Amino acid sequence: MTRPVTADPVIRYRNTHKAFKRPVLSGVDLGIYEGEMFALFGPSGTGKSVLLKTTIGLIVPDRGDVEVAGMSVYHGGRKVLESVREKVGYVFQHSALFDSMNVYRNVEMGLPAERLRRMQTSDVARAIWEALELVNLDPVEVMPILPAELSGGMKKRVGIARAIVGRPRILLWDEPTTGLDPVNTAAVERLIKGLAEELRVTSVLVTHDVEGALWMCGRVAMLEGGHIRFCGTPDEFQTEADPVVRAFVDRAAAEAALDVVEMT
Amino acid sequence: MSAAALYERPLRWLARWWESLAEHAGQLGLLVWATFSAAVRFRVSFREFVRQLQIMGMQSLPIVIVTAVLTGIVTSQQGGYQLTSTVPLYVVGSITVTSVVLELGPVLTAVVLVGRVGARITAELGTMVVSEQIDAYRSLGRDPLIILGAPRILAGLVVMPALAGLANLIGTISGMISAQMALDLGYETFLFGARLFWQSWDIFYSFMKAITFGFAIPVIAIHMGFRTRGGAEGVGRTTTDSVMFQLLTIFILDAMFPPLFLQ
Ligand SMILES: Nc1ncnc2c1ncn2[C@@H]1O[C@H](COP(=O)(O)OP(=O)(O)O)[C@@H](O)[C@H]1O
Ligand SMILES: [Mg+2]
Repeated sequence: MTRPVTADPVIRYRNTHKAFKRPVLSGVDLGIYEGEMFALFGPSGTGKSVLLKTTIGLIVPDRGDVEVAGMSVYHGGRKVLESVREKVGYVFQHSALFDSMNVYRNVEMGLPAERLRRMQTSDVARAIWEALELVNLDPVEVMPILPAELSGGMKKRVGIARAIVGRPRILLWDEPTTGLDPVNTAAVERLIKGLAEELRVTSVLVTHDVEGALWMCGRVAMLEGGHIRFCGTPDEFQTEADPVVRAFVDRAAAEAALDVVEMT
Repeated sequence: MSAAALYERPLRWLARWWESLAEHAGQLGLLVWATFSAAVRFRVSFREFVRQLQIMGMQSLPIVIVTAVLTGIVTSQQGGYQLTSTVPLYVVGSITVTSVVLELGPVLTAVVLVGRVGARITAELGTMVVSEQIDAYRSLGRDPLIILGAPRILAGLVVMPALAGLANLIGTISGMISAQMALDLGYETFLFGARLFWQSWDIFYSFMKAITFGFAIPVIAIHMGFRTRGGAEGVGRTTTDSVMFQLLTIFILDAMFPPLFLQ
């Protein structure tokens, strides 16, 4: 998928700044286009999760703004923020399932409260059922189970089902394959690609799995030192001359090789 | 060194301290506002409120009872021990009942609640913060203050007075029984002494204390829980901080009651 040059980006970070004890984001400018599958790389602790969270107001930037579907997340007021959160599904790094609720209730929470109030119970159940099937889980088996009884891979899938049950236009993925074994990693990657095509969503993928992302994504970017250090196609990324990007690519390749060695 | 440089450090420290105080106050205000505005609009889940009532009540009940029994015994015996032969023994009844109702019932019950309920709330919510469950609620358009905060605060407002009232009753009875056994003071004499200095205002005073503590405990516990940062270690650190703040707040509030209400 290449970028349609005419369209406005569906997500636009404008000079986004965020500091905690030290600066984390120091002026991020980035546009992500409708329907594309976009990957964001970067060393741990550079602020990839922070950037993703500013998209839906989970972390408020100190300066700058984020626009989602043409709406200003930070200058639009509460209604706009609500509408942005309805349009965006967020898959958390450690799934972030609600401990005290079973899988059914967890996925149900993915439906916006207003819509949920107006829906028939049978329609709610059908939506939950479909979402669980989309992530290749057996609804009958998992619905009554508490998160504590699920394996890591299954938790991840329930987290994805919760993010997609409300049919968002945009999906944000925070390291969806980190901590999974190779088999689950491959399965989740296929799921990400499949869902993007099936639901026609825009996907932003924060990941350490450079190889997988280069295979799946139309464009990739690298966050480093609080800025977007690189943004371009996978081919451009692999031939980029910037030594910082080169070092990152080489290290990722070495880590991938190491993973293979560990597996055998 | 110039005078400006000399003042700079303490001034900057003061500014930071003031900023952090304002931040805490703002967040606490928001939490309380969210709770009561949600409560009057019936936006608080009744099921969750009842569940919190049960958890708080069940977890604290046994230890509140034990504490109350022992408090009654100790106050009546020490009261008897302190009295010289010139003071009539029925004063033990007055001392026991006033100490239990005015002070020990509400305060010790609050201390038990800090340990059983307050600590649990902070640890629970802190774990939800570091596992991104709070972010998840917000990403799904839900307000964690209303979903998680409000039911706990409202339950605290109900549980604490109920338990303190029970502690007052149990403390009085156990004090009476122990006075009879240790000091050979008859129930009628004990109650005569109790009534002699009794004012119906006392029970209201005790109730006011209990409500105040029952509000302060969950509010601080929730506030601290939501502020948790930094993994499992952060949860541990925040929980002990939270317990300390809750205890301190209870003792300070308790000290404010006599000048405010017993004039
Ligand atoms: N809520 C927060 N409070 C304080 N510091 C934070 C918070 N969230 C993230 N940080 C800090 O911001 C930096 C970037 O974090 P993060 O975005 O999680 O990195 P990563 O790129 O690995 O996802 C880290 O140093 C982290 O400690
Ligand atoms: Mg991260």
